[in-house]
Amino acid sequence: MNDGKQLDRRSFLGLITWFIGGSIGAGYSIPAIAYIVGPAARKEEDQAWLRLGAASKVELGTPTLFKIKVERQTGWITNEKELSVYVLTENGRDFVAMSNICTHLGCRVRWIASQDQFFCPCHNAAFSKNGEVIDGPPPRPLNQYQVKEEDGQLFVLGG
Amino acid sequence: MIAKIANWFDERVGWKVIWEAIFLRKIPKVNWFYTLGSATLFTAVNQAVTGILLTIYYVPTPDHAYDSVQYITTQIPMGWLIRGLHHWGASAMVVLTVLHMLRVILLGAYKYPREVTWFTGVFLLLVVIGFGFTGYLLPWDQKAYWGSTVGTQIAGAAPVIGDWILRVMRGGPDLSAVTLARFFGVHIWVLPASLILLVAIHMYLIIKIGISAVPKKEELA
Ligand code: HEM
Ligand code: FES
Repeated sequence: MNDGKQLDRRSFLGLITWFIGGSIGAGYSIPAIAYIVGPAARKEEDQAWLRLGAASKVELGTPTLFKIKVERQTGWITNEKELSVYVLTENGRDFVAMSNICTHLGCRVRWIASQDQFFCPCHNAAFSKNGEVIDGPPPRPLNQYQVKEEDGQLFVLGG
Repeated sequence: MIAKIANWFDERVGWKVIWEAIFLRKIPKVNWFYTLGSATLFTAVNQAVTGILLTIYYVPTPDHAYDSVQYITTQIPMGWLIRGLHHWGASAMVVLTVLHMLRVILLGAYKYPREVTWFTGVFLLLVVIGFGFTGYLLPWDQKAYWGSTVGTQIAGAAPVIGDWILRVMRGGPDLSAVTLARFFGVHIWVLPASLILLVAIHMYLIIKIGISAVPKKEELA
């Protein structure tokens, strides 16, 4: 090698080679990372008011299930996703719309009329009819949608 | 500090000998044409890196291939760059391989004791052409479809076994989902495996034998 201070031709060329190699490496890695994380970094599509159905279908005091189909663009495919919403009303005017997705690890909950509670089969969780956790591991109540009634039809805000 | 870590590893792994054999070996005084092989190797690495990235989104079926490619180039950040590098890199690799071969021919570097290096080179050329041929179909657009129809038809022109070759290449009488899937399989598994094996032998021989010197006029007399 050299005596420390002076850079000889050999180590100079060595440094240049490492520098060029490093630049090429970065030139590949940075676009590669953008390319890989791209779809994850996309914002969720705009939310829209989705029509559930007639408000009159909701029984007083019992969560009623509405199933609707929403079109979704995933990658280069447009497919239909089914959305299940439980709607509860105590007076026929004020509605609560709850997601059927368990807040523990994402299984689907269902209303068990005989026990007057929602049940999640994955880890035996129970939620009250308002969506509050009664039993089991879920950390929070069931998620709620914004809901509105127009001309006797129910709409929720979702995507 | 770095030197200490390097030594620690060298004591257990012995990488320094390998490093020296590859990068610090003695070579005769040669010219820039002797870098064509390394340039080809660089394009091969480019194809490998960008090709692996493309498989993250590409789907080799007739109902998804075209859309997935469009998705890569229009929706994915840097997708146009990754696909562009793979697309143009493919042409660059063919050109560089041929130029490298010409340098070996014109400087007589294929002679004793380098015949085996030459033969592995011949197979490498076939592999490079195979990459181009199978990769051409994958975007599944009009150009790809008809280009591969013509290409396989040409193979079918061989006497006696031509029709059989054509059917094996297409996986049936016509270009179909089967053709796309097998071209993809060959393009991303069979050919890369062959390339790695052949390049390893090629490089081993280059290092083992050492590269040839530029021939001098006097030697011919
Ligand atoms: C993927 C394709 C190829 C790669 C990556 C490759 C790589 C290399 C490299 C890095 C060298 C060192 C010397 C130089 O760069 O000129 C070399 C030498 C050599 N290559 Fe290739 N090569 C390829 C294809 C071919 C082909 C198609 C042939 C001929 C049919 C060939 C025949 C040779 C021979 C005979 C040598 C020894 C030359 C000498 O010792 O001076 N190679 N190759
Ligand atoms: S996912 Fe519902 S309880 Fe675990």
